[in-house]
This record gives sequence, C-alpha cells and structure tokens, in this order.
Amino acid sequence: MATARRALRLRVTGIVQGVGFRPFIYRLAVSRGLAGYVLNLGGSEVEIYVEGPPDQLASFIKGLYRERPPPARIEELEIEEAEPQGLGSFTIRKSERRKSKRSMIPPDFGICSDCLHEIHDPSTRFYRYYWNSCAWCGPRFSMMYTVPYDRENTAMKKYPLCTECRRDYEDPANLRRFHAQGISCPKCGPRTYVYTMDGKRLDVPDPVEWAAEKIEEGYILAIKGVGGFHLAALATRDDVVEELRRRKRRPSKPFALMARDCSVVEMIAEPPPGACEVLQSAERPILLLPKRPGSPVSELVAPGLDTIGVMLPYTGFQALLLEQVRDGFLIMTSGNETGYPMCTTLKCVFTHLCGIADYVVAHDREIVHRVDDSVLRYTDGELVFLRRARGYAPMWLYAPAELPEMVAVGAELQTAGAVAFEDKVVPTQYIGDMDEPGQVEELERELRWFVEVYSLKPRIVAMDMHPGYHNRGLAARLAEEYGAELVEVQHHHAHAAAAMLEDRVPPGEEKVAITIDGTGYGVDSTIWGGEVLVASYSSFTRVASLYPFRLPGGDAAAKWPVRALIGLMQASGLDEEEALDVLRRYGLLSRDKLPHGETEARVSYRLAAFGKAPLTTSMGRTLDALAALLRIAWRRDYEGEPAMKLEAAARGGRDHGYTPGLLSLDGRLVVDTPGLLRWVLENIDRLPARDIAVTIQRGLGRALGEAAARAARGLDGPVYISGGAAVNTFIVQGARQVLSDYGLEVRIPRRLPPGDGGVAVGQLLVAAAKLGEI
Amino acid sequence: MTWYVRLWKFITLAHGSGGKETEELVKNLIVQSVPPELWRVEGGTGLDILDDAALIPAGENRYIAVTVDTYTVKPIFFPGGDLGKLAASGTINDLLMVGAKPLAVLDGVVVEEGFPIEDFKKIMGSFIRTLAEEKVALVGGDFKVMPKGQLDGIVIASMGIGIVEGKPIVDTEIRPGDKIIVSGYLGDHGAAILAAQQSLGVDLGVESDVKPLTRLMLPLLEKYRDSIHGAGDPTRGGLAMLLNNWAEKTKTVIVIDEVKTPVRPQVREYAEMLGVDPFSLASEGAAVLAVEPSRAEEIIEYMHSLGFKEATIIGEVYEPKDPRHAGRVLLKSVAGGVRILEPPSGEIVPRIC
Ligand SMILES: [Fe+3]
Ligand SMILES: [Mg+2]
Ligand SMILES: [Zn+2]
Ligand SMILES: [Zn+2]
Repeated sequence: MATARRALRLRVTGIVQGVGFRPFIYRLAVSRGLAGYVLNLGGSEVEIYVEGPPDQLASFIKGLYRERPPPARIEELEIEEAEPQGLGSFTIRKSERRKSKRSMIPPDFGICSDCLHEIHDPSTRFYRYYWNSCAWCGPRFSMMYTVPYDRENTAMKKYPLCTECRRDYEDPANLRRFHAQGISCPKCGPRTYVYTMDGKRLDVPDPVEWAAEKIEEGYILAIKGVGGFHLAALATRDDVVEELRRRKRRPSKPFALMARDCSVVEMIAEPPPGACEVLQSAERPILLLPKRPGSPVSELVAPGLDTIGVMLPYTGFQALLLEQVRDGFLIMTSGNETGYPMCTTLKCVFTHLCGIADYVVAHDREIVHRVDDSVLRYTDGELVFLRRARGYAPMWLYAPAELPEMVAVGAELQTAGAVAFEDKVVPTQYIGDMDEPGQVEELERELRWFVEVYSLKPRIVAMDMHPGYHNRGLAARLAEEYGAELVEVQHHHAHAAAAMLEDRVPPGEEKVAITIDGTGYGVDSTIWGGEVLVASYSSFTRVASLYPFRLPGGDAAAKWPVRALIGLMQASGLDEEEALDVLRRYGLLSRDKLPHGETEARVSYRLAAFGKAPLTTSMGRTLDALAALLRIAWRRDYEGEPAMKLEAAARGGRDHGYTPGLLSLDGRLVVDTPGLLRWVLENIDRLPARDIAVTIQRGLGRALGEAAARAARGLDGPVYISGGAAVNTFIVQGARQVLSDYGLEVRIPRRLPPGDGGVAVGQLLVAAAKLGEI
Repeated sequence: MTWYVRLWKFITLAHGSGGKETEELVKNLIVQSVPPELWRVEGGTGLDILDDAALIPAGENRYIAVTVDTYTVKPIFFPGGDLGKLAASGTINDLLMVGAKPLAVLDGVVVEEGFPIEDFKKIMGSFIRTLAEEKVALVGGDFKVMPKGQLDGIVIASMGIGIVEGKPIVDTEIRPGDKIIVSGYLGDHGAAILAAQQSLGVDLGVESDVKPLTRLMLPLLEKYRDSIHGAGDPTRGGLAMLLNNWAEKTKTVIVIDEVKTPVRPQVREYAEMLGVDPFSLASEGAAVLAVEPSRAEEIIEYMHSLGFKEATIIGEVYEPKDPRHAGRVLLKSVAGGVRILEPPSGEIVPRIC
C-alpha cells in the first residue's frame, strides 16, 4: 500500500551559494524521486520545497548532510511540514532578489578531488590543466571585484568560456560545472608563464616539470598561487634553507611546508587523529603539527620549535608540482620581502623579490584581494586560528544582537579589520602588521571594499586606545568621511568581547575573561597583557593581572628578552648586583643575548629602578623574561618567538605543581610573578629546564584560573581565555585544571583567532554596546 | 581640527616635546585661530610655512628674517655648553636656515627667586660671547624674576633678526630629486643631555654639539644659494622630525640610508640601550640641506673644505608613487629592508605584541 505523500519546506543557512548547492539539491531530490523546487533567498540562505513519500524525504534530509558539495556548510536547517501541492517534477527556480538581504561572500576553496582526478586523467579535456576548478572548488574571494559572485564580477571575466565550457556551464545535469562561475579549461583559462628575475619570459614546454627541476637543483622560485605568491624551495637541503633565510633576512621565523598528501605529512610530522581531514578540507590551511623525529626536513625550517607548519596543495599546479619533486614536500613560504606584505603582482615580484627568488612562475589571472594562507594550531587538543585568511575569510559570524552598520580597524600587529551589519560581523582576511609600508592602505582598501559591496553606511568606527597604533588615523578619516562616531576600545576588552561574541553571549550579560597577550594599552596608560576581566560588551572591571614590572627601553625589551628579565628581577626586589649576578651566572651578558653587555644590563636595571621605563603586566613579556632566564630564547625575530620556544621546551616535562600566589594591589588581585621568579631561581640548577618550563606555564595558568574563579562568584560560566597567549597549551591546561574544580568550563575562541586577528570583531561589539546600540 | 586634538583635555609634557604633539598643538590651537591673511606679511612667509624663521619683504630681492624661541634645558650646564650658548646658537641657526645673515638679537630672561648670581653671570656671559663671536648685536631685552617655586631656575627667550640678500631658503622649495645632506654627526646634543639627566652611570664621552653654524652656512649661501632648496637644523625631534616636516610640507617621500647617516657609535649605542631612536635625538650644531642633485657632490666637497669633515649625502627626495604615501620618510635600515621613520612622539609606548 502506497504511503501518503508528504511535503517539507526547508531553509538552509550557511555556505550554500556559489558552491554548487542548488544543482546538488536538484540531483538529490531527483534521485529520491521527489518533486519540488530550490531557490536562493539571498543572504546565505536557500529555500527548498520537496514532496514525496516520507521515507524518501528522510533519505533526502540525510543526503543533505552526507552528500553535500565539499565546501558547502550547513549552519542552520529549519524544517517545517507543508501541504503537498502535487508538483510533478523538481526544478531550480530563479533566484529571488531580496533587496535587504546581503549574501555571504564565498571564500577561496582548495582544489576538490574530482578536479584533481580530471587533471590526472588523460581522457578528460582537463588533463594536466593547472587551474581546473568547479562549483565545489577554486578561488572565489581573492578574484572578486564586486558582488554578487558572478563570472563577470571576477578576474575570470577576461577568459570567455569556450564552447565546451559553455556547454558544461549551461547543463543542469552537470553537477560540478552547471553555473559554476570560475570554470575554465586549457583552451579558455588562465595561462602560465615562466620568467627570469629581470622580467624576461622563458619558453618552456611544461612549467610544472621545469619548476620541479629548478627547485630540485636548489633554486628558489616565486610561484603565483591563489591569494599571492609563494617562495618555493627544497626543505631537505640545509644550504638551500640557509640561503633562503639569508636572502629573506629572516634568521629564525619558521617556513611553512607544502606536502604532496597525508602520507607525506605522516612522514615528516606526527599528525594527531583528525588532522589529515583538516589538511584535506576545502579550506586547506597550514596546520602546525609536532615534528617527526628523524624526518628528512632540515632543522633550519623551524629552528628551536617542536612543530612544523604543513599544508596540502590547493591548486592543480601545486598538486602536480608536489608530485613531481622527489621529496614529496617543499618550503612554500609567503612571497614577500621582510617588512613588506606578500606580493600579488609580477611588478611586486620583480621589485621586492629580485634578491630573493631566482625564477618566477605565474599565471595571468589577476589577484584582486591579497589572501594569505590561513594558519591553525592545536591548543590543549583544540584547533585554533593563528591566522584567518584563505579558505575562511571573508565568511561572517553571527552577533548575539542586531548591530548598527559599523567598521573596526583592529590592532597593530598580525591584525585584521572588520565590518558589521544586521546580526553579522565580517572580519577581513588577515592583513598583517600596520607598521609595515602599505599595510594601513591595504586595510583601508579592504574595509572600503566591504563597505561598498555590502552597501553600508557606517555609523560607528571603532579603534584601539593605543595612541601609537598606525590605523588610528585611518579610523579617524573614515569616521569623518562617514559622519560616524569614533569610539576607542580597550584592547583586552576587545579580546574578551570577541570570545564572548563567538559564544553568542547576549548583551548585558557579564562573563569572566582571562585576556593574555604581549601588549595592549590600558586605561591607566600602562601596558596590559596578563589580565582577568569581568566584562560585558559595554564595560569591564579589571579584577586581576600579573604583577607589574618595568620594561627597560620599551619595545627594546620585547626584542631582547634579557631586558624584560632585568625588569622582572628589579620588580621582584633583587638589587642591581644580585640581578647582575644572576645574569652572569647563566651567561646572559654575552653580546648575542644583550648587545651592549654589562653596561646595557646596568642601564636597564637603573631605568627600571628609577621608574624611567613603561610599566607592564604583559604575559608575553613575563614569558619572554622566563624564557631568557632558562636560556631557551634571548632574541625575538618574530612575534611570539620566545614564548613559542618556551612552550616547545616544556614538552615532556614534569609539572612540579608550583602555583604563584595571589597578592592584592591597587584593589585588584595580582599574580605573584616575583614569587614565581624566586621559585625558578631556587630550582634552576636542580631541575631539568623542561620541568621548570612546564611548571611555570601551567602555574601561570593555574594562578590566573584561581583569580578568574574568585571573580566568577555569582556569575555563570564559561570562563573565556583570549589574546595571543591564549594559544599556549600549558597556560590553558593550568587554567582548566583549576577552573574545572570550581565547575567552570574554559573556552578559547575557535572561529576567530584568539590573538590580535580577532580584536576588530571585539571592537565592533564593544563600540556598539558603549553607545547603547545593543 | 585634527581628530585626536579633540581627545585632548590638558596640556601634557608630550605637547612640549617638540614632536608630533607639539606640531599638532601649534597647528590646531594656534595657527588655525589666526586669520589666514595675518599668517604672514604680504609677500613674505610666516605661519603658512612654519619655517625656521619668518620672512618680511624689504625691497627688491631683500627680506628681513625674524625668529623667536624660548630656551630651557636641564641641566643648565651640560657637557659641551650651557643654556646661554644654546639660546644664542639656536637663534643664529634659525636665521641661517632661511638663508639670512644674522644681525641682531633681543632677549627676554625670566629667573627664579634664589637663583645663584654666579650661575646667572655664567649663562649670560656665554650667551653674549656666542653672539659676539659671530658679530651679532644684542640690541634689547627684558628681565623678570618669578617668586620661588613658580619657575624652575631660568628661561631665556631669544628673538633674532637677520637679512636675506637674494633667494631665501624656504622649505617648500624642496622637490623630488633633491639630495639630502647632513653637515656632521647627529644626535650629540640629545644624547649628552639624556646622559646628564638620566645619571644612569654611563660615561658617554660625548659632548653637546651646540654651536652657531655661521662659518658653514654663510660661505655655502655665498656660493650655492640657488642650489640649496631647503635647510634646517634638526633640534628637538631630531632628524626624524625635520624630515617628516619637509616631506609633509612638500607632499614628497624622503628616503634616507641608515648606514650613511653619521651618528657616533656611542650615541647610537646609548640610544639603543634607552630604547630611543637615535634619529629623534636633537642636534644643536648640525645642518640638514636639500640640494640640487647635480651640485650635491660639489657642495659636500666644499663643506669638507670648511672643516665639516663628516658632511655627507644621506638620502633623496622622491615623488610619491601613491599619493597616500606623500609626507612619508623611509629609512633603509642597516639590517636591510625599509622602515617608516616616524615623527617622534612625546609619548613613548611599547607597541610590540
Ligand atoms: Fe592582543
Ligand atoms: Mg628651513
Ligand atoms: Zn573542483
Ligand atoms: Zn574552456
């Protein structure tokens, strides 16, 4: 007996546009013998109406998740029963243009397995075609001039579809190419050229083979990818890596690797379960993984660290190149001159990379938006962002309230901006350091682009309180131009708010947040960085911090951690001779650790003692000081270097359970880091460095956890940890240890970088709340 | 009004540092309150350019140059000089930097009750001696005493008058292609004062370079007046402030080479230890020139012959590639790479995360 016909109306929200979602629904419905229709609603929603037998409807829903195109993401699914209309077939209906609804701009996706398959299959017309892509994969945001995502609005507009491509594009039965905006083939798509560094084009029969050969010979190549250029080089030859470091003037910052596939990743790293799926995802990020001991990767790739950053190929060119090179993996670091952003044009390559690269391989498709590779790592087993860019940006996040239209310019280093409208916040892709030439302009260009394509009339512009941040002038100019209110937001308040937004904490609610990082300008004009706040979006109280100490020479103490150690020793009550004794005993007065030796040490001590140096509660500088004392790091060549090395040095150590106490100062709790320093000095000669390293980092986490627990009385959990130092596994573990005893959960941001890449989003919420808009 | 001026509530020490904040304060809270037609005397220059001295036309190809400055320094007697020599030299140099021959000075001296007569004699003695050596007249002045505690020691205001025969040196004449020249070591004064003030126990072995630049500038003007497009003395805020001013006034980009810029090793080292930029340290006896590129080498040679052995070309003025870069000063660093040389700020706050 035939079951009764039933009907369902579905609303799907998420990444469902520009990823071949409608043809997929069409095929899914037809395969289940269902009738109905699918249509784009604008925004990031699709409406589906299906009718047919109930068991087939159930199978349809299952298939929605299981068989969806790889980059599609279903964030919300609303299903309601409907009255069957007796439709005879399933159709893709023309999109409804709803004026008020704005669409999510699709990010750049790595090449899918079907496209890869085609370029390996001599029987397809895509055989060995480097830039093969389909509805499920390929660049999007990086090549968009404007919205909506139609071919005409992208850098693909200069490549008219050939007859075959047009046929595929118009064929609804072609799941991967029907209405896929970015498709092309060897006949009609971008071309690939090889150049010498003086701009001469070389005639080579097969650019991939040629590039592989040159790299194997030890040359460094600039290769154009999706959001910019890479520098490719052998990762197994010390002399090559050293040469690259010398040319890039980059003494120790780790280089990312690209590996052919997960089996190669297994060979060079120790990926935890699930890591391979992350690497293979459409987002194709760089993932920091534990190094595999004895792997053929040169130690110079990531000196002093226990992790290496690895990604998988995300273009056909990269896939073929990695198959071609014997090692199966290569250095693929961003193609920039140190101090400048990554190149996106040949002109930039020939100016900025001429002393660095030997040859260039470039396609002729324009890169409209610079989009760096995204970087993720594991913190206490959880995946967190260090850099949110390719594959993720510019996807939006939902705010816990309707926001006015607004702009935020973010922080200073490793930062991004953000815009807000409706109940959404859109962080820009990672932009970088605002003190580098051209970066404030890049931030401006991207922010203006979002304001334009989302047709925003910003009423608020938010910026950091730090008087020296380079993007404050931009914020002021934008505010003036838009007639918008200019609002200053305290750095750690923004960190807290970003974590709370991600967790959809409603406006008005107070939460406890441990906000830890290198530098943030405090409301008392000192430098904060190890703070426990009780915060709502509109205001905060600083309930605890690390013990304040002086940073002799300001930023000089960030570059030379021994100076921070001197400041910490001075604050801990060591007199000048005692402090010098410690430095002498542990060999910290040598010129590689302190360029001007003992004089500099004494000057530093006196600057601190006379109060002629900025006061700080920075977690970053506290970790730097301890890393210096343990002789784990004494120079900072890249952001977070000493802290990262301290974390690496703690691996495998035994936690001796020491926790610094909490003192009371100026009406708040302070973590007794002078006590911690004394503990280290008492144990440094009898315990292995890794034991001390693990104990002090967990200990700092435990002390902050204890302070947070006390502050949380009467408040609901969870407790948030945010800020650049929130990615430190041991600190997070320490805080979790203590807070779990109080029944409080600890959460780290997972969709936004916990570091300064997430600050702009926090600024939006705080600024809106301060003005009473939420 | 510039946006962050609106955030100010009180005058702070940063406003008087001679850096960015001072400039913003002067432009926003003083210059903008003066009716533009009174920014200068018809046919001359003044608040419109904010050069080292103002120019008042005095007939065909002649200008009277006037300048005023208030001098205060801690300590009053420092290695290499004292407040009196500083005031006289500063006034003379400001006149020279617009291409004038210094003629006369008027002073205004305010002293705190209880100030030692002996010190007063020394200071005024060196003020007058410095003027006399350069044949500059002291033609008038004012003297006041403030009750104890209402002033810290002594302040000298000094107004100078000079005459320009021929083309004045106005900073707005600086153009792309010009070579940037410095007359000698930079930052000596700033470093010597810091070392004296901080008393950190470092024997710097460097004295202030405070001196009038008459013997450099008058011969140079005589020979190369038309080839010198800009001149300035990098006093408060140092080279960084001066070049940023120039770049901003002329909407150009100035690029200098750190390796070529003469700074004594001890000065550089001391600055590094304090965490300050050596290029923002003051000089009180150095000149920075922007000159016609074809004459640059010749001018350098001539400066050497005048006894300024360290005179050298340190950079060049460029047309900005992007209009948004106008006003920027770039520094090719020793380590390689380029960084923005920022105008110094009175408020030094760590930024590194
Ligand atoms: Fe931060
Ligand atoms: Mg001048
Ligand atoms: Zn594909
Ligand atoms: Zn084609």
